[in-house]
Amino acid sequence: MKFIPTGVASLLLVMHCRLVAGKALPVDSPSPLCEKKYTCSNKVFEQIRKQVILLNGTAQELFNIYVKWQGDTFRNHTDKLCNPDTIFFPAFHVNQTSEKKEIVVALYKIFAFLNASLGNITRDQEELNPKVTELLERLNNTTKTTRGLMVNLSCLLCTRYNVSQVDVIYGESTKGKNLFKKKQQGCQVLAKYVQVISKAAQVLLPHINDV
Amino acid sequence: MPSGWSWVVHILYFLLSICCLRGAGALVQSCGYITPESPVLAIGSSFTAWCILNESCLDYGNIYASQIIWKTKRSVVPKEQYREINRTVSSVTFNDTSTLATPLTCNILADGHLEQNIYGIDVRLGLPPEKPENLSCIVHQTSRSRFSMNCTWNPGRATFLDTEFWLRTRWPQETFNDCKAAVVNNSCLIPDVQFFVNLEVWVEAKNDLGMMESEHLLFDPVDMVKPLPPQNLSVTSGILPTVLKLSWENRIIPAEMELKFNILYKISDSPDWMEVPPEDTASTRTSFTVQGLKPYTEYVFSLRCMKRDGLGYWSDRSEEKSGVTIEDRPSKGPPLWRKIDTSHSPASWTVHLMWKELDHYEANGIILHYEVTIKARSPLSRPLEKHSVNTTNLTLELPKGTYDVTVTAHNSVGSSPASVLLIPASNSKASVKNVRAAPHAGRLWVHWIAPNSHVAKYVIEWYEMSNNSSYVTEWQQEPGSSQSTFLKGDIKPFKCYQITVYPLYADGQGNGQSTKAYLKQDYPVKGPTIQTKKVGKTEAILTWKHLSVDDQNGFIKNYIIFYKTISGNETAAKVDPSKTEYTLSSLSSDTLYTVRMAAYTEVGGKSGPVFTFTTQKFGKGEIEAIVVPVCLAFLMSVLLGVLFFFNKRDLIKKYIWPNVPDPSKSNIAQWSPQAPAKHNFSSKDQMYPEGSFTDVSVVEIEADDKKSFSEQDLKPFDLLKKEKSTSEGHSSGIGGSSCMSSPRQSVSDSDEGESTQNTSSTVQYSTVVLNGYRDQIPSVQVFSRSESTQPLLDSEERSEDNLGDATSPRHQYFKQNCSQDETNPGESHFERAKQNTPPINEEDLVGLPPMQISGQSSQSYGFEPQKNMQEAALAGALFPSTEGQTVIPETLGINAATVEEMPKSYLPQTVRQGGYMPQ
Repeated sequence: MKFIPTGVASLLLVMHCRLVAGKALPVDSPSPLCEKKYTCSNKVFEQIRKQVILLNGTAQELFNIYVKWQGDTFRNHTDKLCNPDTIFFPAFHVNQTSEKKEIVVALYKIFAFLNASLGNITRDQEELNPKVTELLERLNNTTKTTRGLMVNLSCLLCTRYNVSQVDVIYGESTKGKNLFKKKQQGCQVLAKYVQVISKAAQVLLPHINDV
Repeated sequence: MPSGWSWVVHILYFLLSICCLRGAGALVQSCGYITPESPVLAIGSSFTAWCILNESCLDYGNIYASQIIWKTKRSVVPKEQYREINRTVSSVTFNDTSTLATPLTCNILADGHLEQNIYGIDVRLGLPPEKPENLSCIVHQTSRSRFSMNCTWNPGRATFLDTEFWLRTRWPQETFNDCKAAVVNNSCLIPDVQFFVNLEVWVEAKNDLGMMESEHLLFDPVDMVKPLPPQNLSVTSGILPTVLKLSWENRIIPAEMELKFNILYKISDSPDWMEVPPEDTASTRTSFTVQGLKPYTEYVFSLRCMKRDGLGYWSDRSEEKSGVTIEDRPSKGPPLWRKIDTSHSPASWTVHLMWKELDHYEANGIILHYEVTIKARSPLSRPLEKHSVNTTNLTLELPKGTYDVTVTAHNSVGSSPASVLLIPASNSKASVKNVRAAPHAGRLWVHWIAPNSHVAKYVIEWYEMSNNSSYVTEWQQEPGSSQSTFLKGDIKPFKCYQITVYPLYADGQGNGQSTKAYLKQDYPVKGPTIQTKKVGKTEAILTWKHLSVDDQNGFIKNYIIFYKTISGNETAAKVDPSKTEYTLSSLSSDTLYTVRMAAYTEVGGKSGPVFTFTTQKFGKGEIEAIVVPVCLAFLMSVLLGVLFFFNKRDLIKKYIWPNVPDPSKSNIAQWSPQAPAKHNFSSKDQMYPEGSFTDVSVVEIEADDKKSFSEQDLKPFDLLKKEKSTSEGHSSGIGGSSCMSSPRQSVSDSDEGESTQNTSSTVQYSTVVLNGYRDQIPSVQVFSRSESTQPLLDSEERSEDNLGDATSPRHQYFKQNCSQDETNPGESHFERAKQNTPPINEEDLVGLPPMQISGQSSQSYGFEPQKNMQEAALAGALFPSTEGQTVIPETLGINAATVEEMPKSYLPQTVRQGGYMPQ
């Protein structure tokens, strides 16, 4: 299933090489977030939770395979070259006690960032390792799951929490950077992703019922 | 085809355009066209086409709309459907396009009534697509992380047009590529799907006549998954003999889908699968311990999985794997039974102990050996016997008494509980009742009613009944709670089985109750051979033997006797199978019947050989009723006849057996005038003291009265003359035939044929013994009466010339009769004659001339003539008169005179009034 990159690609173009900050706004008027008519299923939150769990379950493997195919330097100096603390990633400051709306907004922000970053990484790896299906397949699966998660989050925001706009920050584009920088930025993002998705999964434990 | 016609139309159009060229170098231009061009029409709808003529054609060709003729294929459309809009436009309308043929052409009837085609269009007919129904999707897992979705739907009716079906999917924010149903029009495969996001799916059907959408489905593809089955299944035995542990790998990550499982297992040689309770396998796992299994048993396992919440589809079943539980001690003792042979010794038994191998599920392992103990009960005092055997039987010689026998089976883990049997059973306990056996589901089912007492177990014995004396008894044991069972053995169809049920108690055994049964019945092999036991005038008692058990093939339900006459209809009589005799009644007398007999089982019957019998002509007593009166009447007649005979004895004798005087005994002296004084009557008186003539016939012969004799009577005289020259002997033919028959030819021999001719008119001659043998001349001529028809001999004729010695001729006469007379000359010839009676033999009889045999007299055996001659002589001497019959002396005198007148021959006797007259 090929996705038509209407959302992500346009955003990447607009936010080219810049970080964009966003905040959630109530739905007062038609907005890009809520311009589509959503029909959320009854178990949308459960779907979100499963998507997060699915991403959490595959994040580490994705990171490992990524490092594996970036060369010996990255394999031998992963911790140093892929230090997640040296790269920007949206903050995820919610916990299990937070309001669900806050959790959903926070999730939306990190996955909007991750979605954009995965687009960059995938594009770079298709250039660097075009025949490494093991990596490309996982990148694509993660990207698709992330987009599906965005759909569910958008549905909740628009239909349940009446949030029509969320201020999001997208990562730095790798376009024009050298190969090493592309590899390193991707490695750093994926390392951070492993940390954040784990935390998100913790927040979305099964005791949080569907809203 | 529509494209073909379209080509034709375009070619026509092209040709027409050429015809309509206006000068050299001008553009090709048609004289008109039809609108709409190549329409697609719904079948059954209305349709209107317009033919529009070019103005230029009006000027050059004088062509107007009124001249337009519409045609469908080759048929002219009726004018009623035309409409002339103006002078250049004509329309045609079809209210129902179902029958509209293509192409539709616009034609002009030009001058000279030449029809020219202006334009033509190809019309396509079809139907708009129906709304696709029953859209459903299933997500197939193709690898660990890949899923494809296949959706199917019902495309609806045929549209007769090119119709496209598109499977469309979308998220709220994104629309994915559509899937076009290419190969078939009712399914489409989407190779990649995302879980946990609701996907909107629908089908669009579109052709030239319209577009229809199916209902939109909105679902999370994860709820439609048919996962791959678990792989790498393995089975391992545990510590316990009743458990096996299964391990496997799931091919779907738990983050994507929680699974539940369905574990199936069965004993390896059983066709029936069992299932682990679903609640025990309702969560994701990669192993499971199956419990409650049988020890030392091989089990086969297989499992499948599906989404835990039950949405989606079960996976295919995994590959089968088997495992064996470990051994356990045998769960029960072997079934035990015995056979006691008391024939060898009066003081001991030969006990054959038999037990069966434990079933696999009872043995719980490999049975290594059996232990048998025999414990004698009081008053016997024998030590406990123990035997360890590897077989399933044991034969023991035991003194008569009561014994407790136990058998235990042992495997590598331990021993079974002991099977106990009391020997011998007293048979005094209650027996089962109403034992029945019948086939059921291809096996022989035995049912019985249990006695009131508590039964420990039952033993069912059975054997195949056969004409052969040797048979094998089989047996099986059933628990005391059962009241029916199937016979476990090789039960053959069409064989009769004798089945006996024994109840076994803790302290004894009940009498066996038996029944017979067939697993399957068939026609008898043959029918009974029937025969008659007694046949009467109108009834016959038939008898037969029962068919042997080998020939029955089933229970004989009844016999049917078929009998008929040769030309009559067959009659059937049904006979109870227990009978061996039947009486056919109301039969026709003296009639041949054919009878045959058929024996019937529940399947059918078979006839025996045909037997025939004939009924009696007379009934019982009828013959007696006829014969007895006839016999009585006959006896009465005989009795009356005898009485009559005795009453009229003399009269009857006179006519039937008249006394003929013996001429030899007569005194010729009284007859012959030449020697009357020489005849000695005194000796005659002594010889025939009581001799008397009962009757005397008188032959009256007159010398001149030759006419009184017939020619026949006189014929012998002629013959006599002829024979004189040929016969030198002096035999009379009677005596000669008896003692001197050869070598001399007797007269009777030579004259046999003539004598036969004269039988009816036999003339009795008197034999004249007139001389002795050869040169001996009898002194007295003796006339002996004879019935011979032979002529007299010369010597006899010459006898009168040789009369001199009266005694000598008599001697000679008896010499002729029997030469023994010479040895006892002192005896009287009568006594000698009596003594000579026995030597009569067959040769003598053969030597007798036929004439004598056929003669009416009985004196044809040699001595009779003598007697008669004696009697005749005596009569001639005494002239006795008995019973009023009188001998006329004058006649004698005449006779004597006649002899004198014919000295050389004797006159034949003439029978008068049934008697013979002495000559």
